[in-house]
Amino acid sequence: MRIAPSCDMDTRMADDVEESEVFEITDFTTASEWERFIARLEQIIHDWKLTTYVKGPPLKKGEFSTGEWEEQAESINFATVCFTVTEYHLKQTAVVEGSTQEENEDSLPQAMEDMLLMENDFPPRAHCICRWYGLRHFVVLTPVANSDAVLSESKINLLLSSMAIAVNNTNCLLPIFAQIQQKWRRMYTGICEAPGARTTFDMVHLKRTPHQYGHMEGLINIFKSKIATPISPLPQVKASIRFTYVLHDWTQYAWSLQPPDLDSPLGDEVGYPGFKALPFGAVEDPINELHLSATWPSQAENTIVDNDVYSDLDASQAPQWSVRLRLTEKPQCLLGEYLSAFAELVHNRDSTDQLLGKPAFDDMDDETSEQISQALQRLTDPGRVHLPTLSSVVSRARTRIRSRQKQVEAPISIDTLNELLWHLFPDAANQDESSESCDESEKDDQTEPINVQPEVKEWYRHFKSGPEDGLTYKLAVAMCVVNHSHGGLKAVAHLWQEFVLEMRYRWENVFLIPGLASGNPNMGCCLLHQKLQMLNCCIARKKAREERQASQTESEDMTSRTPGSSDQNIASENQETGSATDDATGSITPFASANQLLGDDPASNEKPRSVSKVSLREGQSVKSDSDSEEEFFECDEDSFPGSPSKNKADLDSSEMEVEEVHFQVGSEALETDRRVAISEANNETRSQKPSGRLRPCGDLKLLNKDELLYIPVTQDPAPMTEDMLEEHAEVLAQLGTTSEGAELRAKMQSACLLSDMQAFKAANPGCELEDFVRWYSPRDWIEDEEEEEDEVEVMEEQEDEEGRAREEGGAREGGASRRRIKGCLSQRMMLPGNTWQEVWSQSKAVTAHLQKRLFDDTKEAEKVLHFLASLRPGEVVLHLLPLIIHAALRRLEEADVEEVPSLQPHFPGLVSKASRVTRAPTQDIRKYEELVKQISLIEEVIARSLSLKAKFLPPKSETETPRHTGALQQFVCDLMDKPEVPVIGAGRGPVGEAIHQLFGAAQRAAHMLPEVEADLQDSPGKVKYSHTHSSVPDFPRPAGREFIFRTVAPRPAPYSQPTPQRMYCVLVDEEFRLAGAFSQDTTFQ
Amino acid sequence: MDEDDVLTTLKILIIGESGVGKSSLLLRFTDDTFDPEQSATIGVDFKVKTLSVDGNTAKLAIWDTAGQERFRTLTPSYYRGAQGVILVYDVSNQTSFQQLDQWLNELDTYSTKGDIVKMLIGNKIDKDKREVTRDQGLRFARKHTMLFIECSAKTKDGVQCAFEELVEKIIQTPGLWENDTKSRGVSLVGGKAGAAGQGCSGYCSVI
Repeated sequence: MRIAPSCDMDTRMADDVEESEVFEITDFTTASEWERFIARLEQIIHDWKLTTYVKGPPLKKGEFSTGEWEEQAESINFATVCFTVTEYHLKQTAVVEGSTQEENEDSLPQAMEDMLLMENDFPPRAHCICRWYGLRHFVVLTPVANSDAVLSESKINLLLSSMAIAVNNTNCLLPIFAQIQQKWRRMYTGICEAPGARTTFDMVHLKRTPHQYGHMEGLINIFKSKIATPISPLPQVKASIRFTYVLHDWTQYAWSLQPPDLDSPLGDEVGYPGFKALPFGAVEDPINELHLSATWPSQAENTIVDNDVYSDLDASQAPQWSVRLRLTEKPQCLLGEYLSAFAELVHNRDSTDQLLGKPAFDDMDDETSEQISQALQRLTDPGRVHLPTLSSVVSRARTRIRSRQKQVEAPISIDTLNELLWHLFPDAANQDESSESCDESEKDDQTEPINVQPEVKEWYRHFKSGPEDGLTYKLAVAMCVVNHSHGGLKAVAHLWQEFVLEMRYRWENVFLIPGLASGNPNMGCCLLHQKLQMLNCCIARKKAREERQASQTESEDMTSRTPGSSDQNIASENQETGSATDDATGSITPFASANQLLGDDPASNEKPRSVSKVSLREGQSVKSDSDSEEEFFECDEDSFPGSPSKNKADLDSSEMEVEEVHFQVGSEALETDRRVAISEANNETRSQKPSGRLRPCGDLKLLNKDELLYIPVTQDPAPMTEDMLEEHAEVLAQLGTTSEGAELRAKMQSACLLSDMQAFKAANPGCELEDFVRWYSPRDWIEDEEEEEDEVEVMEEQEDEEGRAREEGGAREGGASRRRIKGCLSQRMMLPGNTWQEVWSQSKAVTAHLQKRLFDDTKEAEKVLHFLASLRPGEVVLHLLPLIIHAALRRLEEADVEEVPSLQPHFPGLVSKASRVTRAPTQDIRKYEELVKQISLIEEVIARSLSLKAKFLPPKSETETPRHTGALQQFVCDLMDKPEVPVIGAGRGPVGEAIHQLFGAAQRAAHMLPEVEADLQDSPGKVKYSHTHSSVPDFPRPAGREFIFRTVAPRPAPYSQPTPQRMYCVLVDEEFRLAGAFSQDTTFQ
Repeated sequence: MDEDDVLTTLKILIIGESGVGKSSLLLRFTDDTFDPEQSATIGVDFKVKTLSVDGNTAKLAIWDTAGQERFRTLTPSYYRGAQGVILVYDVSNQTSFQQLDQWLNELDTYSTKGDIVKMLIGNKIDKDKREVTRDQGLRFARKHTMLFIECSAKTKDGVQCAFEELVEKIIQTPGLWENDTKSRGVSLVGGKAGAAGQGCSGYCSVI
């Protein structure tokens, strides 16, 4: 039937046709809704340029599902009903112009040709219209609201005729469809107009399969009757058939075969090994069903028998097999679940007190007040600083935990908490067993191995988290587990509170924190880690100081009792006075930094001991002097007018004079041989003056004095965490870029320079700025080259010598040649009034230990502790997120993420993305949530892969040859990343056999009780498909059957042009659908 | 310069042995002057300059560090967050060139951005006594994938160019300076998900 356009439409279209010269008013004011709808539809077709449609290249096999589909949509109204017009278009590689031009008028439009193509039957993933009719380009008109569904026959016809008018008016060759009936039924009706031919698309949709159409024979009858071509015999019908079988019962491969680690956190009822690692894996089988499709492509209708009583269609005989997986929707995966629950906490803004209630808070008050009173007590009793033994510390820590827990019903039970704390602080647990034997130095060793990390992959290098299995890492994992399994946010708050208390406890009792990389805060780690490292630095310094004081008081006692009698005593005194000898090994003074102190080997003091014995006796008064100075170490220099530093400086200036005298004596004495006298004199000065020497600076000697140049023991620069550094940099930057600003900046930073200069002066009495520069900034000392040889000689001489006297002599000679060395400071150092000179002139000789501390460990430790204590649990979680993400990625790696080929490009990408997120200057929870999502996805994929492997690659498969295993492995890989995987060799290949076995096993399991026939009675239309051997068929009844019938036949008259005819049928349990596309000649009818 | 025009603020670090002319280079760049009596830097110094490269205006916060060994314990903390680093040596001093490896090591250890842009500058080409050839510098830079240029803070040669080049490179490096708004993340489901999701996805409809 042809629908004539209305006359209004005619006049409108006439614009660009012949009557343009006739002046005539065209009136659109009376246009009906229907006309407006058609006009709008035409406009859309024009806008989308669908009229100049060119044919695409031939379709490649499987292109419907592998290719990319393009869509564009517009909305359109018919009266009050709103529709969406959508164009679907398979994106194909650029069309070669030449080939498209040669299309002649008579050829059928592409849509009609595509209907007959066999290459893309049954695409696994495509728009349903594409699947039913094999189209690559079409337009669909859909009502927007469900309530606007086009239900009545007349409305459907109206819609269809509107579309027909529109495509005719625009000469659009594309098929256009309208969705009719309720949306869920997915009913479409459509039309495709071409010059001389038209295809109408129609559909039958029923809930039950009519008995007589439950097989191919019946369906072909419908097809033929619909074509109703007058010629006979009918042209041959070709049929493509696909039967789909569903396997959902995995029998022996049931999901009991979980990844082994799944059992441990859940199954183990004793202990909580889960604290140590994040869980992993899916708790349910991530693979729900396996769909096997057996396909018979393009068979002639008479070669296959499929009717009421018999069927040729046996799955195992099908020429093509393909498999799809039906995945469990959002399987419950542990890692993802733990992580997202953990990340969720960041949004909580409650404080610890709010979460844990008042009692906990009160208790903490008691705790601190107790600590304060203890501290006061210690202050008032400076003489007896007692170092608590480790065992006592630990036992106290434990009783503290227990007593605290009794009153409140804590979120975490006492046992669990103790276990957690032991896990986090293994040193406490070890201590429990071997209480006294383990001394402090051993403990230090325990913290060492953290530095020696197992070779971490390059991609984690820029991960801003913390060392793996370090304290923060463990804490993050423990927190995550605690949150999930032991009480949520409250438990997290509780554990955090305990953790902070433990930190304070360790600080106050001078007890290093284990599991942290030693040394200054590492900016490559997350802020929390840095803070703890900072605390550790403070503890280490405090410890060094207290040890020093302890050894001091001890040795004092001993000297008063038996002065200089025991070796040990002398050794300690030797250290104490810091009267280092000029022995090349160099003795380390007690005021070296903690690290240096720990590295001090008593054996290296062996040699100088005999010398210092003498010197000590001689310089007894000096020693006692310095002892008294030590007591003031903690005091601020400026507050004491007669401060030790001043005394010392006075002493030094007098020393320098003395030194000069000696020096002159020495040079006079050079001519004659008076070595002994000189060395004695030198001994004397040495024993009194220089202090705080670390080691000689190579073979350098002082410029105007015949002394080795010594590197002094210096104060370590203050460690800083990144937030402190930022603050510091901010302050520096705010000084601006003016020269005053720069000067001020230099002044602010010269504290370290001053301290070093002071120490240098103390270690090298009589030195000059030139000497200092030669050590500190060698490139600012310009030396004349010709003297170098002499120097080298001297050096060699010195190294060879063993006897003290000879060395002295050598030094003398060296000194003689040294005097001739010419050199000068670089220009910039000589500038009058430059900072270096200024600071030099201001600095007095003060050894490092007598200087004002550059780093106030007490203050810094309190700052860290305050920082920790004031974190809300939500913030704590945010601080732990970098670590937990790191741990999660490691967990994925342990789960063999790399063995899943489909994740190959994604996982490293995720790692580098994660490392970027951890390094972001401001930690953004949304980015972490995104990461968590992706980790969950990867976990799901891995779980899926594990499940597949368990199913298809059972561990013990002796029967299979390597080739089989290879094929199966490939198959499993393909299943992971393709929507549908063809089975090579169909039912006869290795993979086919495995699948066959799976189905067979499932069938046998399912048919333990019921008979096969019982099934068949339920659905009379179903045909019993052939059994292979037993009474139970290996394959179940197909869950779905699809048929595509195609032919070319002349319609409607015998002399009409033959046109393509196609019908698609699908028969599933709850649905019977026929989708027919019947064409007819519109010229010869 | 209008604040709005500034695309981004970049942190740039200048490192190298003492006395190779780091501060002089910076002074030449920011103030276009040369002071033969430039005093030795203590700790770190700081200068700001806005620079336009290819229509992109970037505010440069340049941190000039002291080369002295003792100060080095302090400076690594300033490596943090830097997008670019200028490693300077003195072409008239072989030692300053030999020390480059050590500086790179330090950079590797302390820089927080993996893809930090590195530039090698051979300074003091105005000096007659050259100890490091241009070729040596080139080879070193190639080996460590750095930008390379020789210049002289005294005669002004190449200084401006060096900074411009560095900034251009930083701006061209994605993910180094932007606020990470465009996530270059992974999508596991693949690009087809959108198209397939709109239509009826395959066989769930059949079965």
